Amino acid sequence: MAKSVLVIGGGPAGLGAARILGKLGIPTILVEKEDRLGGNPILNHYHTLIPRKLKPEQVLGPYIKEVESNPNVQVKLKTELTACEGEPGSYKVTLSNGETHEVGAIVVAKGFEHFDPRRKGELGYGLYPDVITNLELEQMFSREGRLYRPSNGQLPKRVAFVFCVGSRDRQLGVTNVHCCRYGCALSGLQAMEIKQHYPDVDVFCYYMDVRTYGTWEYPFYWAPQEQYGVRYVRGRIAGITYSPADGRLRVKHEDTIVQRPAEVPMDLVVLVLGMEPSAGTKKVAKILGLAQDPDSKFLVPSEESGSNIISNKPGIFIAGACKGPIDIESSLAEGEAAGAEAAAFVGAKVTV
Amino acid sequence: MDVSGDWNLIILPRVINDYDLDFAKEVMSLPEGKTMIQCYQCSYCTASCPVHNYWDERYNSRHFIHLARLGLIDELQKRADVMWRCVSCHKCTHRCPKGVLVEEVLKAILKTMAKKGLIDEYPSKKFDKFFTESVLEYGRIEDGELLFGWIEKQGYNVVKDPILKKPIPFLGETPEWLKQLVMKPIKSMNISFLVLNAKHMLFHPRTKNWNKFKQVLRKVVQEEGGLT
Ligand SMILES: Cc1cc2nc3c(=O)[nH]c(=O)nc-3n(C[C@H](O)[C@H](O)[C@H](O)COP(=O)(O)OP(=O)(O)OC[C@H]3O[C@@H](n4cnc5c(N)ncnc54)[C@H](O)[C@@H]3O)c2cc1C
Ligand code: SF4
Ligand code: SF4
Ligand code: SF4
Repeated sequence: MAKSVLVIGGGPAGLGAARILGKLGIPTILVEKEDRLGGNPILNHYHTLIPRKLKPEQVLGPYIKEVESNPNVQVKLKTELTACEGEPGSYKVTLSNGETHEVGAIVVAKGFEHFDPRRKGELGYGLYPDVITNLELEQMFSREGRLYRPSNGQLPKRVAFVFCVGSRDRQLGVTNVHCCRYGCALSGLQAMEIKQHYPDVDVFCYYMDVRTYGTWEYPFYWAPQEQYGVRYVRGRIAGITYSPADGRLRVKHEDTIVQRPAEVPMDLVVLVLGMEPSAGTKKVAKILGLAQDPDSKFLVPSEESGSNIISNKPGIFIAGACKGPIDIESSLAEGEAAGAEAAAFVGAKVTV
Repeated sequence: MDVSGDWNLIILPRVINDYDLDFAKEVMSLPEGKTMIQCYQCSYCTASCPVHNYWDERYNSRHFIHLARLGLIDELQKRADVMWRCVSCHKCTHRCPKGVLVEEVLKAILKTMAKKGLIDEYPSKKFDKFFTESVLEYGRIEDGELLFGWIEKQGYNVVKDPILKKPIPFLGETPEWLKQLVMKPIKSMNISFLVLNAKHMLFHPRTKNWNKFKQVLRKVVQEEGGLT
């Protein structure tokens, strides 16, 4: 039986897997299609992370360092899996750089992609410069360190967060019915960051439900409201328009508590993007024959297993956002669990 | 707005065009209004409120807070006739899962509306003033005098005694609801209680040494804004 393990995807989940495999002394190949490790939080320059308010480099930096410096782990950047043959315990894999390897087990951690808000035309993204995504707001903070309206470079007086853009929406098809899980909490954090630096800016969150589940309730829902005066208004934004008269945007919605239509002026509108399975996730499902949710196309675990990292194929383990929306801590933990399962699968004898 | 195209069906636009956030700021700048910010609209308070449940469902503490926080003034004004009906039972405050001092917040909203001239002085506020005056003057209240003095303020023609110029109960004009309300218990009261009441009406009992104390109290209450 081949004793090495292939990890596909160098985001939080893949890093978690490669790190534990390397630590356990198992020869590991980590393939990542981009030119650096870290996945979406690093590649897309997230600013501050929920729930611990650390930078992506602080959370993932130590993992990246450990993986890159462990002699048991070969990191192959700009590389993808192109084919796989063989059977559990000895898979023959072909990579896009032409190499072939025999591996005993595979960890799939290909992650997610951000929803493209142009698909919701009524929200005016791409049409009005002051309609931005929450990802762009992260980048505005991390790259430029200030808040401004792209249309004129000035500080907005009012900012609106529009929850659930590309999530919980059958209009987009059965693919986008799931909840993004991180959006409500990240908006709470971003709103607080705005208020910390610009206390006079009024911030509004337009929601259907506020899903700051578990221990996130206080720090990302109550605190924005109670400590920073962020206002939550119940109603899904159904349209964003621009008024040339005052140069401001209008968020069109029904305030469902007042039961009246509303078109309220805003200076900056932030769309809270949903998560979709990455193209890589869909591709690898085909190559490896992994089960997918028929609607969302996220990978689904084996029906027989109680654990969600066990795939329908023996010797193939799945971790992180390729299975659906998830946070970074859990992605790391799932990656580590999947790595440990893979180690056990290749029959590693671990001496500590 | 004309919706028919030939101006035979005109409706008023119902669209909310903006928030008045200064209003909310003013409410929250009052000591009793500070906790308004904590509300997450669960309606535990409204579900517990006797006024909402048994008198008028338009009295809705949760809703008032939402309206005040966004500064939806016209919606608040629509409810001005019921907003002062709170009986101060404090069920709302004791039950709110977010620690909002609901009863106090509602008073802060009313106060702000009155201050901004958005409502007339509401009747319960007038009563509060009258009540406070009575306490400040005597160090205690006297039920009969308070009630009929209040009725006089409402515009009823009450009969007063010639010497002390105090209203004599039930001799002058009396609102019908009060007659009905009082007749039942009066029939079952004993004579000496009625005599005592009448005596108190004429010779208002005072707290001992009240005169000195009342000056201090009046000053303190005034400084705290309790007389406005
Ligand atoms: C705007 C936004 C903000 C967020 N903020 C937070 C936050 O503050 N805190 C938090 O906990 N979570 C946050 N999340 C969620 C977080 O991004 C995910 O939990 C995390 O990135 C999932 O890690 P992953 O490794 O499963 O996937 P990814 O981060 O998507 O990593 C997958 C990796 O696989 C690579 N890959 C894809 N296809 C292939 C292929 N074919 N071959 C090889 N490699 C491939 C990708 O290039 C990528 O590097 C946020 C999400 C969004 C959308
Ligand atoms: S986490 Fe919040 S923003 Fe994201 S889909 Fe769920 S409810 Fe909407
Ligand atoms: S009980 Fe408290 S949190 Fe709930 S609606 Fe009333 S004031 Fe708001
Ligand atoms: S204090 Fe007023 S608002 Fe609160 S429950 Fe009692 S009557 Fe209702």
